[in-house]
Amino acid sequence: MKRRFFFSSLAILACAPGWQPAGAAPGDDWVAYRDAYRSMVVFEKYGGPKSLLQQHLQVLPRTPGLDTHRVVLLVAGKTSQGRFPLDATLRTVFPLARSAYDENAMLQLSRPLGPFTVRPQVSLALRPDNLYDSAELYSGCEQALAYARQLALFGARRCTGVRFVFAKGSVAAPVTLRAGADTALAAAPGAPFAGDGDASFPVVTYRFGGTRTQLATASVPLAITPLFD
Amino acid sequence: MPVTNPMPDGSGDMYLGLGVVSAPRYAGADQRRVRLLPVLQGQWSNGVFVSGMNAGWHLSRLPLLEYGPLVSLDPGRDDGGAGASAIGIERAVGEGNLPRLPQVAVLYNAQVLASGNRLNGLPAISRRLQGGAFLHVYLAPTLRLTSSALYGAGNDHDGATFKVGLQAMGWAPAPHHAVTFEGEVALANRRYNQAFFGIDNDQSVNSGNPLYEAHGGWRDARLGARWHWTLAPSWMLVSSVEATRQLGATRTSPLVLRTTGVSVSTALAFRF
Repeated sequence: MKRRFFFSSLAILACAPGWQPAGAAPGDDWVAYRDAYRSMVVFEKYGGPKSLLQQHLQVLPRTPGLDTHRVVLLVAGKTSQGRFPLDATLRTVFPLARSAYDENAMLQLSRPLGPFTVRPQVSLALRPDNLYDSAELYSGCEQALAYARQLALFGARRCTGVRFVFAKGSVAAPVTLRAGADTALAAAPGAPFAGDGDASFPVVTYRFGGTRTQLATASVPLAITPLFD
Repeated sequence: MPVTNPMPDGSGDMYLGLGVVSAPRYAGADQRRVRLLPVLQGQWSNGVFVSGMNAGWHLSRLPLLEYGPLVSLDPGRDDGGAGASAIGIERAVGEGNLPRLPQVAVLYNAQVLASGNRLNGLPAISRRLQGGAFLHVYLAPTLRLTSSALYGAGNDHDGATFKVGLQAMGWAPAPHHAVTFEGEVALANRRYNQAFFGIDNDQSVNSGNPLYEAHGGWRDARLGARWHWTLAPSWMLVSSVEATRQLGATRTSPLVLRTTGVSVSTALAFRF
């Protein structure tokens, strides 16, 4: 079957570090593209404020501890094909493609990693200058909280902070608090998102409170996640 | 556009299939019957859905709320206990408002029962289109409170029911397997319970059943589990087991020979 790349973002993604040759054998396991689409489009259709948020699709292998380096998410339909590299947290920007939905395509991984599931993951948008205003972080957390609250009646009620998740091997104190004298915030090992199998990422937790301040990150975080009570 | 039907604008999510169900011949019967089970489910991005014997329209824009008008075909009952019936195989998986999977409809005319049937001599209850509304609330991403009210069942079109239930979704014991647990209680008005469980003078004479006046109130309680096995993106095996216990006036009706009935079903559905 002739492969046809239909996603507009593919040309960019094909050059990304996670790209693998088309001949690499994908795993046998799969997830229905339509199910993933339906879980992801809820955020897309959400009419509330979300300018400070971003959404990814996250892959969750059922077996933790596997080598997931450079794994690519494959979209395999009758005519719809696509390759989407996963980052270190196993997330990717999900292609909402009507053609793959209509074809009932499947999602596979470029390497056999056993059974997996997928889930939407909402986090705070990253800034290109690595500088974050605490008031803006709070607004982003509030946007994430408002989104979560319209999904279920009971649950989180208050924003308490954000978590900066960095790539493994980052500096020991990857976030600097610029309030008068600079204060470096040390990272502690943690999971990027609740329920993740790998809890060895450097994570800096910043709790809201006190005066408005600026936070600088030493490198681009993998994710900034809201912290709710 | 309601976000509660999450799909591309102008598209749908449909299931068709076939299976079998083993269930009591009618509510309270002591005899069972195995029937063929056509599967029918459709959802469209404009909020309209067909789900087994029900059809409705999602009007909510909030994912945690689902509400709208509902029409439902009441199966009625012939003197053999047969009639149209329906079982649900809806599911939701994962967190948030993730995909809902199909409900199943059965339209079936059964063979005439053997002697000993309590319904012999009773008039058939015709199929009726009921009208009403539904309201669902997601208490948590995988916990949904359900309710519906319908009016129009029975030969006089005046039977009303109200159901309230709880669904726990998203348990995945193995890859491609998902299980939903649910419990529901149903209340009915006097006319409904009298139509389906009462015996008036003429009916008593014709059927040999004692006179019975069924008042309104509790009708039954239901506990069930549905198991979805996704064989491929387009194929799914849906199985369910469900126990229904008659309550209130229906429990002491002369037509009810067993107060608890169990039904099991399995069906293969194609998603397109």
